[in-house]
Amino acid sequence: MKRKSTFHREGYSELYLILIPPLLLLFIFKYLPMAGIIIAFQDFNIFTGVLKSPFVGLTHFQNLFQDPEFYRILRNTLLINFYKLMFWIPLPLIAALLMNEIRIAVFRRVVQTTIYLPHFLSWVIVGGIFVNLLSSQGPVNEMIVAMGSEPIRFMLDPKFFIQVILASSMWKEVGWGSIVYLAAIASINPEQYEAAMLDGASKFKQMVYVTFPNLLPMIALMTMLALGNILKNSFEQILVMYNAAVYEVADVLETYVFRMGIGQMEYSYSTAVGLFSSLVGFILIVTANTLCRKYLGRGIW
Amino acid sequence: MNRKYAFKSDYWFTLFCYISLAIFSLAVLLPLLNLLAISLSGSPAVNAGNVKFLPSGLQFEAYSHVLQSKQFFVSVSVSVIIASLGSLIGVLLSVMAAYPLSKMNLPGRKWILMVFVFTLVFSGGIVPQYILMHKLHLLNSIWSVIFPYVTNIFYFLLVKNFFEGLPEELEESAKIDGASQLTILFRVFLPISKPVIATISLFFIVELWNEYFLSKMFITKQSLMPLQVYLRSVIFEAMDPTGRSTMESKVNISPQSIINATIFLSMIPMMILYPMLQKHFAKGIIVGSVKG
Repeated sequence: MKRKSTFHREGYSELYLILIPPLLLLFIFKYLPMAGIIIAFQDFNIFTGVLKSPFVGLTHFQNLFQDPEFYRILRNTLLINFYKLMFWIPLPLIAALLMNEIRIAVFRRVVQTTIYLPHFLSWVIVGGIFVNLLSSQGPVNEMIVAMGSEPIRFMLDPKFFIQVILASSMWKEVGWGSIVYLAAIASINPEQYEAAMLDGASKFKQMVYVTFPNLLPMIALMTMLALGNILKNSFEQILVMYNAAVYEVADVLETYVFRMGIGQMEYSYSTAVGLFSSLVGFILIVTANTLCRKYLGRGIW
Repeated sequence: MNRKYAFKSDYWFTLFCYISLAIFSLAVLLPLLNLLAISLSGSPAVNAGNVKFLPSGLQFEAYSHVLQSKQFFVSVSVSVIIASLGSLIGVLLSVMAAYPLSKMNLPGRKWILMVFVFTLVFSGGIVPQYILMHKLHLLNSIWSVIFPYVTNIFYFLLVKNFFEGLPEELEESAKIDGASQLTILFRVFLPISKPVIATISLFFIVELWNEYFLSKMFITKQSLMPLQVYLRSVIFEAMDPTGRSTMESKVNISPQSIINATIFLSMIPMMILYPMLQKHFAKGIIVGSVKG
């Protein structure tokens, strides 16, 4: 009896009612697609529907693991994201450490305003900007020609396309990525610096021995976050910027699913590839989160 | 040498920091200037590849061409509708999900929270999503883009964290006055939650304005083509930016100028929002990453 009255007094029934609309949308647009994964085990026909399509067991997965194409795409996915991590982990940190030494407020504000801006531009716009820069007559090729080499067709050359992906993603996100480190630097106890100065530490030494160690948890957290998202990270960027000439090096799991599934209507096979990608992503992010909770005392979510 | 510096090496180190950041800023700025310069230059200079960071043979016709293009107008309108409707619904849903789940004592809170967070770590993938939209008859409808975005869990968590930080007395005193939960949420909580509401509205607007993938997948009708999809076809698929079938009769303007004018015009809404974005986003991302 008492419990019931608490339930009423706290307005719990009303709270549950408020939760219905968000839960309903979540169910339709997130959970129904999860149930739709079942077509990876079927010979799905979009006209007969999920309920009436025949089951074929693990056939699509057998085909998948025998397909050399699949291994090439998996390799591309891992390579592109591995390269990205190599730059993504140190660059925003370095930007923040440099920014920390800036004492002229105007300079700091101008730099911050500039380097955060590209984060808000879409991949399509960033793609357009790089098409300009890297066109046969663009500034980059002009420098290459001035140094006595042949102009490079960056967007069409499998040897250079990955570099384009890397450069454009760093151009877009490094400035923005420095924000979390700047916030962490701001929360360092000033007494640590005072003590270091009393010990006669130069500014560089303060950076190495005071600022940097204080940032280690944040660095670990950002690395884990990046690792957890490694599979879905570059999808939209590549989808926008790639073309048939560079499929060989630029095709990643999700772009492949998109082309096979939506473009060529190989629904069941591409769902199997997608399920593989989702499962690996799931394992990565849950591992990353567990590690964060264990060693850093807080999770990603 | 400046007396502020305790060591000679401090002076050089600080100088190094200034110079590196100046170079970084230029690396961000120059490509944008390049874009602007090409959009404003006359065709002889553009075609000869002589336009670097300043316009040469100044013209504004590229812009008037784009602004007269019917498809550009259509695509901008579609994107404005998607971004405004989407952010409105997104904010509403985030608040409605966040409020009940910010009550620590709500029975089953942990389980319901799990239902939300699970969508962060696992998804049905591209093809099942496509088939769902097909079955719901939402293909070629702006809702196919809006609905997947408004169920974004990150922003809901941001609001939930904010609500959890508010004092409990707020709710108690309203309850004594006999207010219902819905009244408390909209009359008491929302007014003091302006900062976080502003932050996530901006998050939604930016995401939806820049959205490419879902629109590309779900919308094939030209009359519903959002700006980013249109823009990509202009940049990468050599679609005529003016939406006409031929590129003739534009002696003074290079197609490249028109493309770049289209890009620049598409950047304007983000540029206008940018001062606000900088203020709120920096806050949002810090709240989100440090407390999340």
